[in-house]
Amino acid sequence: MKKKTTRILAMLLAALMVLSACGGNNDGNTTPGDDSPSNSDTTGGNTQTGTPPAPTNGGDPIDELVVWEVSSNEMETFLMAHSESSRDLDVLANNYSALLEIDNYGHLNPAVAKEWGTEDEGKTWTFKLRDDVTWVDVNGNEMDKTTARDWQTAMEWILNYHKNDSKNVSMLRNLIEGAEEYYELTQEMDPAAAQALTYESPEFANVGIEVPDDYTIIYHCKVNCPYFATLATSAALYPIPAGLAAQKSVEDLIAIDNTTMWYNGPYRMTEYVMNNSKTQTRNESYWDKDCSLFDSVRVVMIEDGNMDDMYWETGEVDQTQLASATSQTILDNPSDPRNELVVSTRLRKYSYQHMFNYAKNKADGTPDTDWNNAIANEAFRKSLYWGLNYYTTWYRGNRLDPMVLENLAYTMKNFVYFSDGTDYTDRVLSYLSEPIPAAGKDETTPRRFDAEKALAYKEQAMKELEGKVNFPVNVDYYVKAGSSLDGALVYKENWEETLGTDYIVFNICEYVNSNTQEVYDPQLQSFTDNGWGADYGDVENFHDQILYGVDGAFYSERYSNINQIDESVNPEVVALWKEYTDMVLEAKQVYDLDERYDAFAKAEAFLLDHALVIPYNYSNYLQMTKINDYTKKYAFYGCQNGMYKNWETSTEAYTAEDYARFIEEYEAGK
Amino acid sequence: MFKYTVKRLLQSLLTVLIVVTVVFLLMRLLPNDNYFTEDQQMKLNIEERTELLRQAGLLDPIPIQLFRYYGQLLRLDFGTSRRIQTGVAVMKIIESKFTVSMRLGLTSMAISLVIGVLLGVLQARRKDRLPDHIVTAYTIFVNSVPHLVSYSLILVFGARVLQLPSMYSTRNVGKSIILPIACLAMGSIAHYALWTRRYMVDESTKDYIKLARIKGMAQKDIMLKHVLKNAFVPLVQYIPASIIMTVGGSLLVERFFSVPGMGTLMTDAINRYDTEVVQTCVMIYAALGIIGVFLGDIAMMIVDPRIKLAGGGETR
Repeated sequence: MKKKTTRILAMLLAALMVLSACGGNNDGNTTPGDDSPSNSDTTGGNTQTGTPPAPTNGGDPIDELVVWEVSSNEMETFLMAHSESSRDLDVLANNYSALLEIDNYGHLNPAVAKEWGTEDEGKTWTFKLRDDVTWVDVNGNEMDKTTARDWQTAMEWILNYHKNDSKNVSMLRNLIEGAEEYYELTQEMDPAAAQALTYESPEFANVGIEVPDDYTIIYHCKVNCPYFATLATSAALYPIPAGLAAQKSVEDLIAIDNTTMWYNGPYRMTEYVMNNSKTQTRNESYWDKDCSLFDSVRVVMIEDGNMDDMYWETGEVDQTQLASATSQTILDNPSDPRNELVVSTRLRKYSYQHMFNYAKNKADGTPDTDWNNAIANEAFRKSLYWGLNYYTTWYRGNRLDPMVLENLAYTMKNFVYFSDGTDYTDRVLSYLSEPIPAAGKDETTPRRFDAEKALAYKEQAMKELEGKVNFPVNVDYYVKAGSSLDGALVYKENWEETLGTDYIVFNICEYVNSNTQEVYDPQLQSFTDNGWGADYGDVENFHDQILYGVDGAFYSERYSNINQIDESVNPEVVALWKEYTDMVLEAKQVYDLDERYDAFAKAEAFLLDHALVIPYNYSNYLQMTKINDYTKKYAFYGCQNGMYKNWETSTEAYTAEDYARFIEEYEAGK
Repeated sequence: MFKYTVKRLLQSLLTVLIVVTVVFLLMRLLPNDNYFTEDQQMKLNIEERTELLRQAGLLDPIPIQLFRYYGQLLRLDFGTSRRIQTGVAVMKIIESKFTVSMRLGLTSMAISLVIGVLLGVLQARRKDRLPDHIVTAYTIFVNSVPHLVSYSLILVFGARVLQLPSMYSTRNVGKSIILPIACLAMGSIAHYALWTRRYMVDESTKDYIKLARIKGMAQKDIMLKHVLKNAFVPLVQYIPASIIMTVGGSLLVERFFSVPGMGTLMTDAINRYDTEVVQTCVMIYAALGIIGVFLGDIAMMIVDPRIKLAGGGETR
């Protein structure tokens, strides 16, 4: 019996060892010759001509970077044209090359296009391409040259209704000559016939993309489009390799993965394990020989954004976004050695607003006349505009520098500049009829917060709305059940503290699953927090979302419901929205960039003067990092901010002092 | 036996069909808005969205959609993923995850079976003495403390003290699999120890054991040859199901250690409204559960020849 038992145990343990050890690298799409430890080139040395900048904090440049992403952000497709989501595009921007690239200042630089320009105020745009860009497969074998045909292929693919599920199509339909017609034509066609079309088909001949030779692309726009070059950084204007498209059916091209796609970007994705990791390995054939790249970048997928703190502590990742509790623990303890390592990230691309609902319903479906009449009153809106003190909210977001999160304009700051270097939002603020002071009363008072002014407007509003509104007005703010409650409580305090509960009562309401279906469709919210990040580099992209009576103004249709305001009851606010819309539509017709931005700035100042929306917040977070964020690509549009190109890194974590120097150097280099 | 097998097979097919139908209908009850990404909701107008739904067949009457789906299943066509990995065959996605979960699950099963049963035997032999108390305390701890807490303890201890990788890595499978397996095995060890002890203690009070003692049989032989063997019978029934269900993966452990297994697939698919993936996962889980129970019955019959499987409910 003893022998028998021993034998059984031995067999079980042997099986266990086999199970543990077997199949090491076959969990995902791994390629032969990838950079697993056994066969990776660990000798260092960047084979690109450009060398990574030497860190100044005593460390060495990182050769094999490890960053993280939360699992829920796992990518869905490897075909760039088929994605509109940053979860894919942040990754794929490293695998495909665009016509143009942004740099760490947000400036456009040559990429595959070595020259570009327009000679007719933005109606026709010509891009001259490099002739040394190649497509390679996942193993680095050259497959084809990158030519203008690849952009033609992509344009045809995106506009073809039966190929790309209408992804990335809206911008092209609106801008490119013949695009709308081609889209509609394919929509009416039999799917098989539409899928058989290519850029060489006669049906595509009238679409405004012209390729006189392999290395020239001419885009013909429907209207003057002075910002067209910025679109070159968006997914809609990335290439699809014509050679690959010719080999594959529509279904197969949509289903490509890292092992079957072609690459002309700085990295090849040599390993992809869904919900675990992806490895980007430097593409030796990459056209930009002067840039610095990592030998490899490994993106590990983690359960949630709180676990990276631990992975940082164990040295498994090179950057951590600090959870609120962790940053509090560190910063509240001056003797914690990590204290000097906590630094802020740069601002994210979103400008957050309170978007009021002008046609609110109660839970029973009847109009909430108290709220609707109150918010239609300018004095009521202005009491909120001047009376909300968000210091506590910002402090929760960034304890190191809360005031950096104060947002005073509708458009994102540092987004576009006048030719003299003036930031567009500074011009907006200069046009405000009630100026916002250059600084708050003290270090913890927001610039816009003015309790006296807010109370004066409150008094005026209560007088003007007497008999029309029952005070206090209920403000219904919705959060997802079980989350965001802390933030909402801070809001409640912010709203009620200055203005008083005799004026407004802030109700924190909950939805269970879908805010669209449970809140926005029945129009139950009094306001929503809304962050817009631009698709391309023009301010019209911000304003287009909130226009009155214009199709496709997404926020007007979904959040503010301005088109449903009862004009017979509240004609003044409708008139204001109409006037603002007219100003924007006029600004869109101006093609000289300085004049254009100026016209938009006046429209935006009008919007803020009447407090039709209330800007309130930017976002960033605290981190510990071995990456100098100020060397990363940084633009408020396009999809290139996730590119691992020309990054300065150090094997030693950067300190707050290092970061202060980076900011100084960055500002000096502007 | 043959009759029983055929009957169970037919029952199983019917059960799978019912499960698949219910899930199909539940997915269709969800609002169609979920079909679109946030970007699509923003950029496509109602007509365009309706057209896409029509093209996908989601506006057809539900019975037509259902029978079309049955037709697909008969052709073993499980469709392609729409959101998890666009355009890729669902079975291909499942296949890549299946092996990871299975490797992890089987390893932890093997470990927990060996250790758990040994601990149970130890407890039974040393009943009401120190080893019994220690293992009982362990069992209570595992069952009373929420998994998330115990997993966190293992994670922190393993990563910080033992310097083990805290994330599963395809580059270093051997080491990085240790902590997930420890978490998975921890609960099963307690389970097997608890039930082995209980069945062994029950068994050791029976008359035939007393008789064996009176006849002078060695205590060790009594425990191993009679008590353990008979105590193992009720445990055996659940082992095949447990082994097979390891394929399904563990949502919590896989999330916790970034293991690219099956456990997270279905929740991800539900979150992203990837109906084809959800339906296929549910069908696989249902089928595996049924097969597991069936194999459990067979295993019991092999371990204890007194048990007969019959169609008419004579014995079971």
